[in-house]
Amino acid sequence: MIELYAITDNPGPPLPDVAPPLELVPIDGLAAVCTPAADAEVSAATLWRYEEVVEALMADRDLLPVRYGTRLDDERAVARAVNERRDELAAALDRVRGAVELSVRVAAAGTEQASPAAPHTSSGAEYLRLRSRAKASRDRAARALHEPLSALARASVEGRPRPPELFRATYLVERDAVESFAEEVAGLQEANAGLGILCTGPWPPYSFAEP
Amino acid sequence: MSTTIAEREVALVDLVDRLLGGGVVIAGDITLAVADVDLVYVQLRALISSVATAEEKGVLPRMGDAL
Repeated sequence: MIELYAITDNPGPPLPDVAPPLELVPIDGLAAVCTPAADAEVSAATLWRYEEVVEALMADRDLLPVRYGTRLDDERAVARAVNERRDELAAALDRVRGAVELSVRVAAAGTEQASPAAPHTSSGAEYLRLRSRAKASRDRAARALHEPLSALARASVEGRPRPPELFRATYLVERDAVESFAEEVAGLQEANAGLGILCTGPWPPYSFAEP
Repeated sequence: MSTTIAEREVALVDLVDRLLGGGVVIAGDITLAVADVDLVYVQLRALISSVATAEEKGVLPRMGDAL
């Protein structure tokens, strides 16, 4: 069995030197980057090792990262599977060319600080009303982040926030615009003290890989 | 990505979301069934929250110090 990491242009720069060594399966202008599959339990460490290989590839080439855990019998099976979607994949690779992915997750800073602290001074209904109003204003603030950030991005995808998150989105950003994106995030954080903004990346374009 | 383990722990949520939920899907065997993916999420989230809790209580050294 061999495991897939990414789809890239072919020819491309030499493969990074990692263990186990990477192999290239060429498919009509594209290539699949693979390695012999190892039996490994999924853990934080195995996920990071996988990520490090994809990031090493990303350092000097454009790529479509492949869904983690994709395995095929042999190189012929890889070539066949990629060839079936060759044009779609080439178009997807063009869409992410020159760009990386940045993740933004937003939570309220100090979870319940905006809630009224003395419910005995008002009715339960009043308490709930104030609480929901506080939540709505945090939601509006999270929305306010999306507009300036998406203006700096080639594309964006909003995800469903997982509590206690208020907002989450992923941005496809030109490699040379990553710094200005990070500066914008810092500025937005300063302007919105009630929100905790967590921005990570640059990631390979996982969220923009599937056509 | 980031230079300290502490930052990596924060980024682990983003990593898991991307590796298990993103990327291009090539016909072939995905080694993880959907149930496994859920399990991985549960395991990794438990890891993240236990690290965060332990750090908060000062039980563990900060993860960055382990380097």
